[in-house]
Amino acid sequence: MSLITQVLPTLGWIVIALVITPMVWLIIQPYFKGILRAQRRAADLLRDVLTPEQLRQLTWSGYLDIPSSTEPRRVYRVPMTKGFVQVVENGRIVMRLCVQPGEYLPDADVVALHKLMIEADEENYLLRANKYLCID
Amino acid sequence: MLRVMSRRGDDRVTWDVQKVLEGDPEATAAVREAERIFAQERARGATAFRTDPGKPTQRIEQFDKTAEQIVLVPRVVGG
Repeated sequence: MSLITQVLPTLGWIVIALVITPMVWLIIQPYFKGILRAQRRAADLLRDVLTPEQLRQLTWSGYLDIPSSTEPRRVYRVPMTKGFVQVVENGRIVMRLCVQPGEYLPDADVVALHKLMIEADEENYLLRANKYLCID
Repeated sequence: MLRVMSRRGDDRVTWDVQKVLEGDPEATAAVREAERIFAQERARGATAFRTDPGKPTQRIEQFDKTAEQIVLVPRVVGG
């Protein structure tokens, strides 16, 4: 008797879980699919704006070096994931920059954003960035 | 093509310049829609870049239907 009273509620919970799980999955599935689709589209855009060399560097090194158009010895090192953009001059990190989009974007879009702004709108990019000087 | 960066990755509007020049109504409507989105996003603080393969990226202020690709980047802030 006591065994039945112990087993029956457990079986009941298992049945409830089996019924609820697919329903929960149906509700959250579009959300996950949306995230994956956004990441795929952002990766497509990034591939389209990078040169083959830049894409290779990003893939293998995890960062992208973008030469400054105003300072010949300056390179902006953009990480593949969220983080500071490093300003490298003569091989030394002299500054860290924090610039982020005003709204959420997938990581690949953020890399593309840095690249486009540094290459074509560097002055404005620097104006908006929060700068953290690196002093040895 | 107009690509607008967003939380969905990017939203795209495409058109065929040749068909626009020939007066194709569908292509013309696509250009009008792209122009509308361009103006709307610019008003929200977005920056527009023209990216043609093999050419340096160019910041643009006006919509250009002859551009191979225009990318709209949302307003950025210091973090």
